[in-house]
Amino acid sequence: MKKVYFILIVCVTISSCDVLEPELQTSLPTESAIVDTGSAQGVLSGIYSSLQDADYYGTEYVLNPDLLADNSVFEGFYDSQQELDNKVVPINNLWIGNCWVDIYEVINSTNFLISKLSEIDVDDSILGEALALRALAYFDLLRVFGEHYDDGSIYGLPLLTEPIPENDFNQIPDLDRNSVAETYRQIVSDINQAIPLLAGTGSTGTISQWGALSLRARVNLYHKNYQAAFDDANKVITEGGFSLVTDLKALYEATEATKESIFEIEFNDQDQSSFNTFLIRRDEYNADASLVSFFEDGDNRSNFVNVVRNRNKSGKYPNSDNANNAKVFRLAELYLIRSEAAVLKDNDPSAGIADLNIIRKRAGLSEIQSLSTVDAYIDALLYERRAELNFEGHRFFDLVRLDKAGEILNLEDFRRVLPIPKEELQISDALVQNPGYASE
Amino acid sequence: MNCLETFLHFVSFRNRSALFIRNLTIFYMPNQSIKHLMRFLLMFLWGGVFFTHAQQVTGTVVESTSGDPLPGVNIVVQGTNQGTQSDFDGNFSIAASEGDILVFSYIGSLTQEVVVGSSLEVNIALEQDTQQLTEVVVSVGYGLQRKSDLTGSLASIDGEDIARLPVSSLDAALQGRAAGTFVSSPSGTPGAGLSIQVRGSTSLTASSEPLYVIDGIPMISEDLSALFSGGQKTNSLADINPTDIASIEILKDASATAIYGSRGANGVVLITTKRGKSETPRVEVNSYYGFQEVTNVIDMFTSQEHLKLMNDAALQDDRDLGTTYGENYISDQWGFDPDDPEIKTTDWYGAIFRTAAIQSHDISLTGGNDQTRYFTSLAYFDQEGVQIGQGFKRFSARLNLDSKINHWLDIGTNVMVSRTVSDRTINDNSLYGVVVNTLAGDPLMPVREEDGSYANPFDYFGWWMLDNPLLIAEQYSRFTRTTRGLGTIFAEVTFSDAIQFRHSTSIDYTSVVDEAYTPMISRESSRAEADGLGYYDSLEDFTWITENYFTFTPDLGDRHRLNAILGTSFQASDRNFSDINAQKFPSDQFVKLAVAASVTTGSTSGTRWGLSSYYFRFNYGFDDKYLVTLTGRADGSSRFGSDNRFGFFPSGSFAWRASEEDFLQDSNIISNLKLRASYGVTGNQEGIGNFASRGLYGIGSYRAAATLVPIQLSNKNLSWESTSQFNIGVDLGIKNQVNITADYFVKQTDDLLLNRPIPGISGFGSVNDNIGEVENRGLEFAISGQKEFGDLTIDSSFNISFITNEIKSLVVNNQVVSDSHVLSEGHPIGTFYLIDHDGVDPQTGNIRWKDINGDGKINNGDRTIVGNARPDYFGGSSTTFSYKGFDLNVVFQFIMGQEIFNHSRASYENLGFNRLSGSFVLPDGNNHVLAKERWKNPGDQTDIPRASLTKKNWREYSSRWIEDGSFIRLKTVTLGYDFDSSITDKLNLNRLRLYVQGQNLLTFTDYTGLDPEVSQNARDLRQAGNDFGTLPQTKSLVLGLSIGI
Repeated sequence: MKKVYFILIVCVTISSCDVLEPELQTSLPTESAIVDTGSAQGVLSGIYSSLQDADYYGTEYVLNPDLLADNSVFEGFYDSQQELDNKVVPINNLWIGNCWVDIYEVINSTNFLISKLSEIDVDDSILGEALALRALAYFDLLRVFGEHYDDGSIYGLPLLTEPIPENDFNQIPDLDRNSVAETYRQIVSDINQAIPLLAGTGSTGTISQWGALSLRARVNLYHKNYQAAFDDANKVITEGGFSLVTDLKALYEATEATKESIFEIEFNDQDQSSFNTFLIRRDEYNADASLVSFFEDGDNRSNFVNVVRNRNKSGKYPNSDNANNAKVFRLAELYLIRSEAAVLKDNDPSAGIADLNIIRKRAGLSEIQSLSTVDAYIDALLYERRAELNFEGHRFFDLVRLDKAGEILNLEDFRRVLPIPKEELQISDALVQNPGYASE
Repeated sequence: MNCLETFLHFVSFRNRSALFIRNLTIFYMPNQSIKHLMRFLLMFLWGGVFFTHAQQVTGTVVESTSGDPLPGVNIVVQGTNQGTQSDFDGNFSIAASEGDILVFSYIGSLTQEVVVGSSLEVNIALEQDTQQLTEVVVSVGYGLQRKSDLTGSLASIDGEDIARLPVSSLDAALQGRAAGTFVSSPSGTPGAGLSIQVRGSTSLTASSEPLYVIDGIPMISEDLSALFSGGQKTNSLADINPTDIASIEILKDASATAIYGSRGANGVVLITTKRGKSETPRVEVNSYYGFQEVTNVIDMFTSQEHLKLMNDAALQDDRDLGTTYGENYISDQWGFDPDDPEIKTTDWYGAIFRTAAIQSHDISLTGGNDQTRYFTSLAYFDQEGVQIGQGFKRFSARLNLDSKINHWLDIGTNVMVSRTVSDRTINDNSLYGVVVNTLAGDPLMPVREEDGSYANPFDYFGWWMLDNPLLIAEQYSRFTRTTRGLGTIFAEVTFSDAIQFRHSTSIDYTSVVDEAYTPMISRESSRAEADGLGYYDSLEDFTWITENYFTFTPDLGDRHRLNAILGTSFQASDRNFSDINAQKFPSDQFVKLAVAASVTTGSTSGTRWGLSSYYFRFNYGFDDKYLVTLTGRADGSSRFGSDNRFGFFPSGSFAWRASEEDFLQDSNIISNLKLRASYGVTGNQEGIGNFASRGLYGIGSYRAAATLVPIQLSNKNLSWESTSQFNIGVDLGIKNQVNITADYFVKQTDDLLLNRPIPGISGFGSVNDNIGEVENRGLEFAISGQKEFGDLTIDSSFNISFITNEIKSLVVNNQVVSDSHVLSEGHPIGTFYLIDHDGVDPQTGNIRWKDINGDGKINNGDRTIVGNARPDYFGGSSTTFSYKGFDLNVVFQFIMGQEIFNHSRASYENLGFNRLSGSFVLPDGNNHVLAKERWKNPGDQTDIPRASLTKKNWREYSSRWIEDGSFIRLKTVTLGYDFDSSITDKLNLNRLRLYVQGQNLLTFTDYTGLDPEVSQNARDLRQAGNDFGTLPQTKSLVLGLSIGI
């Protein structure tokens, strides 16, 4: 009998073990991620975490357009940046592959949040932010991968506006590309819907109504809807309550938003970007010699390009804890948008001089008195945009949309957009490559 | 019956007269046992008829050394058919007359003859016959089995062979010793993890490492440290003291591994530790002490040669590209005269490498009686790194106890506690690695300035070096401390001779603490203006496992033998982590985070998993000729999708012992011939997350608040990798002197656990899924033999394995896994994917790069498959010469046909290439002396291009750095002397042995890098064969002493 007791004890012990259903400790099942206002806010904030990704506003999306253009030169180590600097981007470039997925991560989170918001009762602004961020993400993708400069192009983006059903990878749709016009339509529709929902919001670390208006201004500028761009920029400048920071050093040294900030992706010493690491500690994004010699005498903005140990370095992200924010929209850009829109909407070369001069004055430069042609204006504008916004993610897109890429970068036409990543083409039947690039 | 015998009983013949148990070894002569049995039966039937005048002689037979009674000894009256056998207590009784000769014979013992005298009592002690074929009992998982009964394929290694090699862990000791088992040490880092592949690699992203089972407990064997160190991992196996190991069995085919079901696909390594014996207490003391060095350093240019190369680079550009640098352009720019003999040359390898001590000391006590037996040990191992800044220490203690409570219950425990301290530095592909910063070390830069401070590379003429490697080696503080406790309590219940039950409950507890400090004076800290960077990570893993199984050994008569087990197992693990990073330290005198002004990260987390299992094994033997094994295990794992949680893993095997058939029974040549065949399915579930099947949101942060971010999409079907393996093998014994084992296998793995690329519009690049197929095919061959020449005995063994590996299918072909590697159908795992070239143009001295996609540009789009890291064949040999008290053991290891991507060479064969765009020329640094072979003049035939300040001929990820990594290595040489008993007796010792041992003393290779046994990504086989700033292997020479009291 003793033996039987022994076995019984063992059996009782065994049957009390349920080892196959361990609890999650640091994550939630997706289906129960959004249940109330708090969790909806958590997912919304998570979209900003996704925007912080190193491939997106955490560094590369901001710096790579300068590497593709003439502001930044590769003197470092990584192939991916070297390929961008060479301006011959192979379809298996590391960054384009990552950036495509990471920006779609933002889009999917917004899709998920937007779909859930109809089920629970929350603040309008949450929906507004989600819509505005989806628009931002689609626009950022369009600038890199779609022929944004040609409204008649069929090479827009695959538009996904619903969450993946049941969060199941088997149910990911195989989408083909929408046209550029359709892509713009989706972007503008989201912003139009968002702006009234965001009324009264004003934080700079999240997208506010001013951020959404700034986005619509930039989108319309790219889309050549100059009147609309002018109106939105004008509204932000006149009603937003923002003002230029007089001391440029204070503008770039700040690790918090300044009074010039409209929308920044924020970083701090415990939630770091990689700007300082890449710009100062590494050599992938050194300043191009042409940028060093480009500034007019007396332009205080030239002080943000320094020579350190035989290398030219940008000084725009000086915080060694990588706590400088990514400046998505700041007031200076809005002046430049209003200026450009004013000129191009009526082909009046002098209509934008006043706004250019506001920016020049802050930089310590003399005012421009007159510009006789639109071409002369474009040259002045490009000087200002390059001097003001270098290392902030604009140069390559500016040269493309103003049709200067061939002239200044000696770029073949098809390279004005980057290729659709190879791995996406490998797994999708519907997706097609941009013209001129290899498909495999 | 003691516990050990109980084990044996489970698996042994019902007729145990054929067994003699001693120290886990059975001396067994199958041929004779049958003959004796027949003879005995004849005598029993007829003996009494013819001899009726004799008297009854009685007595006891014992074993001479232990004094244990011997049952089943054959006793025959010489010249008659009369005989008997001793009973269970060694007693016998036989009818014999005075003057008759009694012949005592017993398997494994010397036959003895005794003349019957006037006394009717004859007591006799039989001595062991060491000449006879010895056969080892091997651990097969959930029991023991005699090797002759095996139907599957396994390799067995005696603990004594590996116990005192100068290496930190048992896996390192297996190198070259077992056929089909590829053991690769990725670097010479003390205490670091190795890569073991049993019969090829079956997995891409899941682990290809075997399951380690120590005394029945599947133990944690992965890297648990979170401390960044480059590609080298810590090694949980280094927690185990190798001198405690009695034997290691490597289970290879599906028949052998199926009992471990979902974890058996990569093979199973069974480790059995030493146990006490019923004998007087014995104390053993072992010590060795010695020194180690790196196996090789690379010869570099002197400062003068370096300057001349740089000047040549400028001149060559003038000639080829039309620049106008002129003579001595670089040396003038830098302010040197290249012919000045006064310019010093810094030996960078000499600065970071050293001659390092290695020592090991252990003491063990073993003994026991019929009720209780014990083995206990205490051991200390201390290995200094051959690279400054590294080291590994281990303290360990063990107690193995066996207790016989009564006739039906045995209880025992195994308890091990160990503490390891790893002193680490960063290496491999890392900004602040020690070796990587040394590679192109500027010869013009001193290690230290005249004031004694570390020289700053940014004050000198090399781009490559980011910080002074000696500063990193000496001033960074990086420690991983592990405390490990492994404990088992087991009970065995004997219901009857036919039914036994065993229960065991075990705990595997590990606590890992990483503590590191990056000093203020380092560039890593100063460039980040961090004022010192401190890290503290901890991990605590608590795994428990309970096993219960019945063993059935019913008596089915003489011709049938059946042994079956049926059991269950439950295992669960609870793991918790913490992670703290801090900076802003007051000075480099402090390394603890308490003094840091700013904490930048502080977090804790945890995870769990569980496995529940049901298994059986059925062994049947008919007439000792035909053996069948059927095994099955059902495993349920918490890691897999709800729709696919349980898997069943069956196997079957058959063996025919042809040497037992009549036509071979009397063969003088063939003493053993067994043919085996097996087929089965096993699984693999390692290497993926505990919650990999679920769609999850995790925690992020933004603006100092927690956020919810998507982590992964769901895959409800996620399940095991499943490997089906077919094996045929033959075991051949010739004249009881030579043993040959050959096996051919085909191992097909499908449902590979792999990151399946999915459309990026989902926001994810991949999900975990079961996709793809890999096939391993191989031929393994092992031969061993023994021959005596008078007092000289030669023991020799050799093994060789030919294993091919091929990816049969993938969801997306040509999946790039790194800058240098790809997964491609029709190619093996570990295939290089690089920009290719067609040699050096003899007219221009420039490399002819291949423009694969024909777009006129050379970039990543031109990458193509250029080779792989798979060896064609590998193996080793071991030869021992014993002469009187002397023994000499020589072990060779070889790996042939593997290629290495010598990424390091891109740094030290830069040939002057300058990365800066301004006028100041800054090459990566120095070049190795092979750069003398570079192209210099039109017509030169060479594979090293001309020097150039441009990157025209330099492509980091190109086939220019692919080299043949074949090597033959003198792995171990041991010369020992056992002092004669005349001396040991005087010293009151049982044993006294002195030895010298060399490890890795000679390496024969064409590889130009540091060492051909290398992998920058230690356990990621997809990226095998990458050498980039990886610490080379070490060679060592130690002097050792063994004392038995």
